[in-house]
Formats: sequence, structure tokens, C-alpha cells
Amino acid sequence: MRELEVGGKTVDEAIQIALEQLGVSEDRVEVIVLKKGRSGVLGVGAEEARIRVRLLPTGGEKADVIEMAKEVVSKLIESMGLTVNLSVPQPASGELPVILNIEGDDLGILIGRRGQTLASLQYIVRLIVAEKLKMWVPINIDVAGYKKRRYEFLQNLALRLADQVKKSRRLITLEPMPADERRVIHLTLADHPDVTTQSMGEGEARRVAILLKKH
Amino acid sequence: MKELIEYIAKSIVSAPEGVKVTEEADDKAVVVVKLEVAPDDKGRVIGRQGRVAEAMRTLLRVVATREGVRARLEIV
Repeated sequence: MRELEVGGKTVDEAIQIALEQLGVSEDRVEVIVLKKGRSGVLGVGAEEARIRVRLLPTGGEKADVIEMAKEVVSKLIESMGLTVNLSVPQPASGELPVILNIEGDDLGILIGRRGQTLASLQYIVRLIVAEKLKMWVPINIDVAGYKKRRYEFLQNLALRLADQVKKSRRLITLEPMPADERRVIHLTLADHPDVTTQSMGEGEARRVAILLKKH
Repeated sequence: MKELIEYIAKSIVSAPEGVKVTEEADDKAVVVVKLEVAPDDKGRVIGRQGRVAEAMRTLLRVVATREGVRARLEIV
């Protein structure tokens, strides 16, 4: 079982950092607060918050999970009055997560601004499947390949901006992005020889900065 | 709109028989979807920091937009 201990200015910040490192959402982990932390007065007497997070177990037969996920997505979309096709772009056995691709016409409405509607849809599907199976299973939902394209775009963007940072020797901050997209940036540049990445800001405004590595 | 909220709520609460959803239009062409659940299940349909409620509202907005109305979800 994977465990991780992290620190941050506040408990919430520490949780965010841990989730980002694990690349999972909050419903996947158990959080144990080790130290609450104090902000102190003007930084005097400040104490870091420390938490331990533990990944909750996942499992089950993948084929069953796929069937369950398909059923939930179908019912959900049907109750929204939309007609779509579902495809599963992966074999029915092997590694999780389960990936479901929703296909059809005029699906922009299911993606929403910055993929927000899609994120809500995925969250609800995970919640319902977790309730039915009594355990958490990673399920990724895509609409007409939107996420796939977006991730590819972000990978290219990250590499391009890393180049700029290297040349200008200045830090570049990207626009605010959801957790999964920030993760793509972090992962793309994880092994980069010249730059490193860091997330800053809270909640909706959280964004990735690309900065020069200190040698 | 009712069907969507009813399906989600019934699937995530521990007492599905306690779920009641009503839909009514108020005077300003806003459809009010009222979700009622057993007291013990209220936390589940709201979620931590209102995350579940927020996700339901986002999906409700999709249906409302398609039907050309505005919708509001109330958890009572």
C-alpha cells in the first residue's frame, strides 16, 4: 500500500501537495493529520502542518468494473436526455484505470469550460461505482478524445515553455488548471535537465510554474 | 432534470427510499429542482466542501441549457 508523508503551510495545502504527487483525487486517499501547524505572527513561531496520506485499496475484476462503469455512464447520460455511444479503448483485462470514451454529436456541452462539466461527470460516475462496488476504482472518462488531445497539447506546451525558461532564465507561470492537467505538466518535465516545476495558489486558481533548476 | 438528480441521489445514499425529487417552475422561468433525502444522507448528497452538490449542479446545467431554461438545485 502506498503511503506518503508531506508538509505544508496548512493541512489543506499539504493535502493538495500529496494528491498532486500521487496523481489522484481526494476520494482515493485516507488523510491522517500528524501536526496541525500554526501560522505564527509574521512568520515567527510558525510551524509546518504535517499529514500522512494512504492510498485506499482498489481492485476487482476489470471486466466487471468496465461493465458497471458503462452501465452507470449510460444511465446518467440517458437521464440527461442525450444519446451517445460508449467505447472502451483498452483491453478488458490488465491494468486499471478503466477508460471510457463517450462518442456522439454535439458533445461540447458535456465537456464544458476548461473541461469542468466532464470533471463533474467523472466525479459522479466514480462516486456511484464506488458506492455499488463498496470500493474505490479509478475510472477515467473522456468525451470524443478531448482529454487525449488536451494532454498532448499540454505536453507540447510544457516542452516549449521549458525551452523559453531556459533561454530567458525567467520563470513562467501557466494559467490555472485542474489537477489532472497540472499533473501532465509535472510529469512531462519531471526528467528535464534544466527546469523544474512547482504548483502554487489555492483551489480554482492553482497553477503550475516552470522555473530554472538551481545548479 | 428530475430524472438526473433522482438517479444520482438514489445511487449514492444509504436510504434510496428516502429520496424525493420535485420540480417546479417559479415566476422567473427558473426551474427549481428540490432534492429531499433522509437526514443521515444529507452529507452524502452535499459532499465534502459541497463537492457532490456542485457536480450535480454542473450536470443539471447541461440539461437546463439544452431545454433553454435556467435551473436551480435546492437540497432540503
